[in-house]
Amino acid sequence: MAELQVLLQHRNVPGIDGIDVYESHGGYAGLRAALGKERQAVIDEVKASGLRGRGGAGFPTWIKWNGLPKSGSAQHYLLCNADEGEPGTFKDRELLLKLPHMVVEGMAIAAYATRSANGFVYVRGEFVESATQLRKAIDQAYRRGYLGRNILGRSDFCFDLHIHTGAGSYECGEETALMSSLMGERGQPRLKPPHGPLPVVSGVWGSPTLINNVETYACVPHILTHGGAWYAAMGTQRSPGTKIFSVSGHVARPGNYEIELGTPLTELIELAGGVVGGALKAVIPGGSSVPILPAEKCAGVTLDYEGCQAAGTMLGSGGFMVFNDKTDIVALMRRTAQFYAHESCGKCTPCREGTRWISRVLDRITAGAGRMEDIDLLLSICDQIDGRSYCPLGDAASWPIRAGIRNFRHEFEHWVRHGSSPIPGFVPPVRSHGPGPVPGRQE
Amino acid sequence: MNDSKLVNVTINGVPLQVPKGERIIESARRAGIDIPYFCYHPRLSMENGANCRMCLVEMAMPRTGPDGTVTLAKHPKPQTACSLPADEGMVVETETEAIVKARRGVLEFLLINHPLDCPVCDRGGECPLQNNTLHYGAGASRYIEAKRHYPKAYPLSEHVVLDRERCIQCARCTRFTQDISGDAQLDFLKRGADTQIGTFNAAAFSSLFSGNTIEICPVGALTSRDYRFRARPWDLATQKSICTECSNGCSIKLDHRDGLVLRVNGRVNEAVNEEWTCDRGKFGLPASISGERLTAPLLRDGDRFREVTWDVALGVVAEKLQAAGKQAAVLAGSKLANEDLYALQALCRGGLGSVRYDYRMGTQSSEARDAAAMLFGPNPAPTGIAGLEASPWTLVVGSDLAVEHPIVFLRLRKSWRFGKSKALEMVSSSAPANTHVGAFAWSSVRYADRGLPESLRSACSLLLAEMPGLTATPEIRAWAATGTPPADDTASRRMATALSTGPGTILVGEGALSGPDWREVLVALGHLAGLTGSTGSVNRLVSGCNDRGAEALGFGDWQPGTAGILAGAASGATPALWIAGADPVTQYHDPQVAIAALEQASFVVVSDIKLTATARMADVVLPSCSVAERDGTLTNVEGRVQRFWKAFEPRGSASPDWLIAARLLQRLGKPSVWFGWQDVLADMRSHVAAFGGVSLDALEKDGAMLVAPQVVD
Repeated sequence: MAELQVLLQHRNVPGIDGIDVYESHGGYAGLRAALGKERQAVIDEVKASGLRGRGGAGFPTWIKWNGLPKSGSAQHYLLCNADEGEPGTFKDRELLLKLPHMVVEGMAIAAYATRSANGFVYVRGEFVESATQLRKAIDQAYRRGYLGRNILGRSDFCFDLHIHTGAGSYECGEETALMSSLMGERGQPRLKPPHGPLPVVSGVWGSPTLINNVETYACVPHILTHGGAWYAAMGTQRSPGTKIFSVSGHVARPGNYEIELGTPLTELIELAGGVVGGALKAVIPGGSSVPILPAEKCAGVTLDYEGCQAAGTMLGSGGFMVFNDKTDIVALMRRTAQFYAHESCGKCTPCREGTRWISRVLDRITAGAGRMEDIDLLLSICDQIDGRSYCPLGDAASWPIRAGIRNFRHEFEHWVRHGSSPIPGFVPPVRSHGPGPVPGRQE
Repeated sequence: MNDSKLVNVTINGVPLQVPKGERIIESARRAGIDIPYFCYHPRLSMENGANCRMCLVEMAMPRTGPDGTVTLAKHPKPQTACSLPADEGMVVETETEAIVKARRGVLEFLLINHPLDCPVCDRGGECPLQNNTLHYGAGASRYIEAKRHYPKAYPLSEHVVLDRERCIQCARCTRFTQDISGDAQLDFLKRGADTQIGTFNAAAFSSLFSGNTIEICPVGALTSRDYRFRARPWDLATQKSICTECSNGCSIKLDHRDGLVLRVNGRVNEAVNEEWTCDRGKFGLPASISGERLTAPLLRDGDRFREVTWDVALGVVAEKLQAAGKQAAVLAGSKLANEDLYALQALCRGGLGSVRYDYRMGTQSSEARDAAAMLFGPNPAPTGIAGLEASPWTLVVGSDLAVEHPIVFLRLRKSWRFGKSKALEMVSSSAPANTHVGAFAWSSVRYADRGLPESLRSACSLLLAEMPGLTATPEIRAWAATGTPPADDTASRRMATALSTGPGTILVGEGALSGPDWREVLVALGHLAGLTGSTGSVNRLVSGCNDRGAEALGFGDWQPGTAGILAGAASGATPALWIAGADPVTQYHDPQVAIAALEQASFVVVSDIKLTATARMADVVLPSCSVAERDGTLTNVEGRVQRFWKAFEPRGSASPDWLIAARLLQRLGKPSVWFGWQDVLADMRSHVAAFGGVSLDALEKDGAMLVAPQVVD
């Protein structure tokens, strides 16, 4: 039982964020290897690796890469989604902070494979230090000839990489909303198939656009250095490779852990030093939007896309949150609901109105004014959001609440019956919310 | 997205052939299947739509398996029909249990924060949210939390009032300002359940087209300052009409009650305004015909008027006109109907033997008008409004198009928006920094102190430089080479690249040919049109509501024109003057001249709907009818003759001008056979070639175009 570190192997080497140390630890070998191949061969290598998108959905990476036009003079854009906002997830932050060159190298390889001359890293606005590190890395890469014109002497390969920082919106991590935001528009999602084109057909400024997560790009140099087959040998057959889990909550050593996909869930808890402050009550394995898993269902669950799905939850972005038996699940759900009500962009009806409604009902229950029918009301509101919203944020807001009630209904009933927490001595924080001050003139 | 290819789709079991890419909500509508919606609007972009989620449907597509068998794969999530493009084999269900539930859910969400103040809401009774709730909603709400509250009646502008509690965030108004009017003044502020519409920095919503947002708002969130709380929709009667506030001739609906027009809404006419209106028409028309109105003939009695019968008034007028004979004159207002104008000229020519009738209040001379007709052909607007959509480039000179011709402006913008046309403009340096056309123009050239003719000459010169092979006479080349050298600025060069792509359209505002340099302007326009092959698509845009009708009926053909008529009134050479629906005291380009003439005139009769400044100086005042109180036809800027319908009875004994003229003809011993407006129209059709193609059938629809603008006896 141990970590299998591919991406994070050298994260604690002093100076690894600088280009010299990064190169001395095998850095930019992947880019050199890629440039020794035909563009299609690079995509084939990624295909052979079986790499799946690390942003949460687990979509096969090579299919996106392969979807961009292979001829013609159209401008292609390469985007990196570093708007890491899923509560419980902090892997991209550390990758950019400590290993920014790995992301730059991965993007350069993708740019070569997809004939993209311009790239943007959309960095979450709060990640000031990560963005600063990335800025330094990009500047160094330009000076070494890994970015800019005629990269490594190749007259057919130019790639400029830019940083764009967000302004504090979870929704902008949704890829089409990210594109809206990048173009200077309101951070709201755009039409997707079957209603509109895929980003690889028409993304930012109407051009073919490839968008991948930070961790996905960080995997690419290793795949090109060691080969797709080497990567595919790790993990499970359908979920190959390693994955970084951001472990937080009631564990002895919270932090980022890189493990092979398919590792038993309980092993990850032990890697992080085990549960502290009480016995294990529940785990949210993939970020706040995935269904909560009660302790009794954790045994035998493996951390891969299929294993999590079989257990009724999802791998998501790897935001692995551990809760001990002093946790009030209703309060946890209330906090989660507040987050989604706060982050709903307001574009579509179910998400805009439903998330606020859920939050209000949970406020009332944890204020001791719950009614027994509120529990089914919450489930009904979740049903009215799930699958009917414009983008997946609505789904993400409804899944955790539904799973919370399904697995811990007795705690909701306790709150309703007694007007107080089933956890002795626990008092939920007071929080008032509602429409803030209205800007502009008033009558 | 649409193309001509047809695909087979099935909606609720009904097989349909529809254009590939057509939105399913439209396919269903044509098949008679109702899919409810709030945010969808066929003229607004889809990119910020599909947000209300009311039009969800279930959708399945055929999928070919590895063994070649085709199965129907149902999409796991319901899809919005408003944004779903039809594709071969698509199967759609709109009334399944899941969809009924989904709609009920969306309506419940929309209503939890909606104030339900329907009894005092302007939209009540004609509200999509009410209607959809009645058809698809649940009977009761499960919401017991506090509703969102905002201060009521937030003033977005002097015309538009916002109720943020009622807003359902459908983005119709924001999309209107972004897609259609292009001023992009409305957008969303804040996010999530706090999302609300507003203007940047709370600036006034000063769009020239703001009123349209009130019409397309699916709830009572945007209301009209003028109409607020004044009526319930079911108490209003609606009549089809034509807007008289400018020459564009929008099809409108007059909502009226008790002889008052309470509001104006757009009416669909794809050839003219599509469905839009401008604020000048929407808010200006009701104001211009309401208020203190004339109800009976007035006869001057010293420095006062006294009410008299029509018999007395017409007796006085007929006597004075008869005495004046061919020295009598008529000044017609731009809002008079074709029938009025025809009757007036019949009175002049047939009844009095006079040719002194005119309508012009500006400085444009008959000479300029005739010279333009010689150069560019007898049809002053050959391209027409809808024709702009097919023009590769359109050059605007001498007009602040959005203000003077708002609907022409919207069409120009539409043609640019769909990538079909490059907009070009030449504006004086004194124009505002951001002109309306300049906001999307391919090139906006400012002519500084060079003036318009020199600017046009520069354009020709640059065009010749751009295309050395262009056929041009040595005279034209020499002309282009002289004068002020072309300014070496990017805007001019950019314009030349657009002009070099082939024939396009030139829109000439009335201002361009009204100055003392009109000859130079015409020469330069003629060369530019000739060089670009656009001579047949030079459009002279008239400003007044029915100026095209007046021109077609020979008004302004008499050389001294309005100036001569006013001079005659002052000198005694025009012993009797009838001013019909015009107000030279405020409208004539030199009001002092008009006032002096009226002071010295021996006899002036004014017919109008209100006691205007001119009417106050008259000897006899006759009450006439507004557009809402009578039937008739008007000719718009592109020469489209359009019918308007009587909405309610005239005030008092007011009478349309054609009827006044008819009664005067009778008193002059030359009775007409006009018993109704149709009789005047019929006469006009048989005597005026331009109106020969105006059939009553066409008038019931989108109107009929003038065929030739000359009076033939």
